[in-house]
Amino acid sequence: MTSIAVSGSESTQAVTHARRRGRRSLPWTVWVFGTVAGLMVLLGIFGPYISGDVTAGNLQDRLLGIGQQGHLLGTDGQGRDVLGRLVAGARPSMIAAIVPVLAAGAIGSAVGIAAGMAGQRVHSLIMRTLDVFYAFPAVLLAIAIAASLGNGTLNTVISLSIVLIPPIARIAETETMQLQGMDFMESARASGAGSVAIARRQILPNVLPALIVYCTTLVGLALVFAGGLSFLGLGVAPPNPEWGQMINEQRQYMFTNPTIALIPAVVIFAASLVFNLLGDGLRDALDIRRSTR
Amino acid sequence: MTTTRLMVRDLRTTFGSGASQVAAVQGVDLEIGAGETFVLLGESGSGKSVTARSILRLYDDSAKVEGSVVLGDQELVSLPESQMRSLRGRRIGMVPQDPTGALDPLRSIGSQLMEVLRVHGVASSKAEAKRRARELLSIVGIADPDRVVSSRPHQLSGGMRQRAVIAIAIACEPEVLIADEPTTALDVTVQAAVIELFRDLQEQMGMSLLMVTHDVGVAEELGGRVGVMYAGRLVETGPVSEVLSAPQHPYTRGLLASLPTPGVARGHLTVIQGRPPLTGEVTSGCAFAARCPMVQSSCRTSAPALVPVAPDRSAACPIVNTTSTASTAVTSEEMTA
Amino acid sequence: MIRFVLRRLGYGVPVIFGVAVIVFATVKIIPGDPVALLAGAGASEATKDELRSRMGLDDNLVMQFWHWLTSALQGDLGTSIAQHRPALPLVADAFGNTLILAAYATVLALLIGLILGGVAGLRPRSIAGRVCSAISSISVSAPQYSVALLLIIYVALNTGMFPVSGMYGDGGGFVDLLWHGFLPALTSALVPAGVIGRVFRASLLDALGMDFVEALRARGLSERRVLVHAVHNTLPSLLTMAGLQVGYLLGGVVFVETIFNWPGLGLLLFQSISARDLPVTQAGVLISALSFVLINIVVDTAHALIDSRVRTS
Repeated sequence: MTSIAVSGSESTQAVTHARRRGRRSLPWTVWVFGTVAGLMVLLGIFGPYISGDVTAGNLQDRLLGIGQQGHLLGTDGQGRDVLGRLVAGARPSMIAAIVPVLAAGAIGSAVGIAAGMAGQRVHSLIMRTLDVFYAFPAVLLAIAIAASLGNGTLNTVISLSIVLIPPIARIAETETMQLQGMDFMESARASGAGSVAIARRQILPNVLPALIVYCTTLVGLALVFAGGLSFLGLGVAPPNPEWGQMINEQRQYMFTNPTIALIPAVVIFAASLVFNLLGDGLRDALDIRRSTR
Repeated sequence: MTTTRLMVRDLRTTFGSGASQVAAVQGVDLEIGAGETFVLLGESGSGKSVTARSILRLYDDSAKVEGSVVLGDQELVSLPESQMRSLRGRRIGMVPQDPTGALDPLRSIGSQLMEVLRVHGVASSKAEAKRRARELLSIVGIADPDRVVSSRPHQLSGGMRQRAVIAIAIACEPEVLIADEPTTALDVTVQAAVIELFRDLQEQMGMSLLMVTHDVGVAEELGGRVGVMYAGRLVETGPVSEVLSAPQHPYTRGLLASLPTPGVARGHLTVIQGRPPLTGEVTSGCAFAARCPMVQSSCRTSAPALVPVAPDRSAACPIVNTTSTASTAVTSEEMTA
Repeated sequence: MIRFVLRRLGYGVPVIFGVAVIVFATVKIIPGDPVALLAGAGASEATKDELRSRMGLDDNLVMQFWHWLTSALQGDLGTSIAQHRPALPLVADAFGNTLILAAYATVLALLIGLILGGVAGLRPRSIAGRVCSAISSISVSAPQYSVALLLIIYVALNTGMFPVSGMYGDGGGFVDLLWHGFLPALTSALVPAGVIGRVFRASLLDALGMDFVEALRARGLSERRVLVHAVHNTLPSLLTMAGLQVGYLLGGVVFVETIFNWPGLGLLLFQSISARDLPVTQAGVLISALSFVLINIVVDTAHALIDSRVRTS
């Protein structure tokens, strides 16, 4: 309750502001979930090589239960090995989850920081445009764009990237605006540094932590969206495996062989959970006290 | 001296436990009579705010408050929380440092005033509470109480907010008013007005005032008695005018010597070398020894007690007392030696 | 306050215009020639030209947009290719059903979310608090289609307590509606409940740590009163979040309605996308977006009512 005034010069304030957030030991959640997330990414890269070709199956072996005849997770309606399809399906899911976040992250933060640093008019213009995109429920926008573009992982990536740009831009803008009001920003401007230099050296390092946390949770969200798009038939086309599409395909067997539809459903749930909790852990580690959803 | 209203004896406040304990207040004694003023003067980290809050028991279980605080004839330290609660705001009022941080940002000033009045039973009906609220706002010097009553905090200036907060603090006509650096967040011009307000309120209501501040000027304005705090202890007490003109403790002398005097040109500002101890930093011996120009070996081994050095004057420094009985202002050269 | 509402409404107009542009554009970027599709294979150039000019597709884009917009404002959003009925009434009907589902889900989400967040915020270090916090975090990650399947398989099929399809059974009536709607509403409500839970918890902890809370205690107010003040101060951020969640609900119902066979806008959109029924798809997305804009205006107004600091911004 007592406060001791610790006065520092403005430059110390600036450096402290940037560094304060990184230098403590990472909580266990980051290690655990980070590792799992990393494994999933690896699966995404190497999955299809491990699983082999899982697009066709033996119809005589269809709808086998768990563990039967060497199929660890059974077979689906077309006799294809479920586990194999899960492993192979990791790639399109991971691509559709990570690439949009990276792309939207780069574009969105550029837009957001630019908006935060710009004059009144440009700022309003950018924010109003973002508002138009915000007027769409995200899922709907993704569906609408994906429906227009057609099937395939690339179109899913494009659609999700577009959908994710506004929220990232908004976070970047909010953070930038907060920084603008701080003393060390005034010093930077007074020193005659150009806007790009300021953006690179003062703003970006301070905005990055919040962005990283937010983007990590967005990966989970993008995963769910991608699965949803495939579920609706808008993503990866059959017979190539993809988690969401697997759910939709095997939905018809829901009443007799529920596991085959359930397994990919649970996998997407778990994967999304991993990224969300990783984001939470990162937020604690980087000392960000805002709930960014 | 009239009847004692508030008596504090050996107040000790410790935060945390075990190795990371912080002893913010290490034994404070003070007495305030009815209608009197006591100024608790000290720098940040000296423990003066903690003292004020400990009297009101505003800390939860994270702090251990020991000693004795007697209001009238009621011991406060060991009082059950429910009874303490009915006492806060009613018999002891508090004006916190930041007026913005003391008001619910979403409710009007009027509703916050009325709430206090009704909770403590001072007003029995909404109408009466409203009427009394307007009165209180006038008493604290607000020109159009009707507008302020229905205003939210963010619609008022800093000075108005502080007056509103004072109004809330005195709403139930408390016996003692504790003010924790009430002028720090205000403009200099508003400061003087607020200090005068405190004086007026004291006269009108006969309140005792405990003023916590780091500003020597505030102490001068208010008068009454002053207690200088350093490192969680009182190092000097006495009437304001006497202490300020003839300080009896090296720290007080250094403090006063470092105040710039307008109109007197000086080569460089006088400072007390070294730094004040961090809150709760416990030292053996006198806490000021590391910075004291008159330090002797005995100072580092035994912490001096606050002892009377004159009628109604106490100081916690044996050296000063023995070297000079007459008051002498310390020259700047002495302090920076 | 009135001025605020008017300003807010006025601000919504360019947004709605932008929405219309985007909806129009999303359809226009579809690869392929719609005329060729409609006319069928082997149609002559003359037929296609005639079709093209009849559909107004030979004008430039801006003109096309203008025609589309003006028709839309008059209530004509085209005709469903699949069902040969005007698109707007079709969409409006379905939307009504979705609104019912969304309302049901909102109630559930608020109930669950406020309890989870309240317990976690008031007793953060207790077991109950930690459990509630964990549940909120898990809930937030729950994909609707996954939850729907889980609920159907483990709740409905095993216990037979709830129906898994449709909006009404043979009985009809309000109770029947509640009964049919429970599982789909619960499925939709889980993510919003999780979000509300987390935001409420964070806001409570924030509010209880604020300076004025100590000042309130210094006035001698009881803990209960202090709590009321604190909760009151969480309402603004909670409200904003709730508004966003309703938007999420309106969008996410596609999955829930598809799986539970609920005849709402989501299901209609799914079907129209599969059938490449563009007018219906356009109309559906437009209606959804418009209602979201409207909801946001309402939420902002409520926010300004509670927190007057917002009114002047």
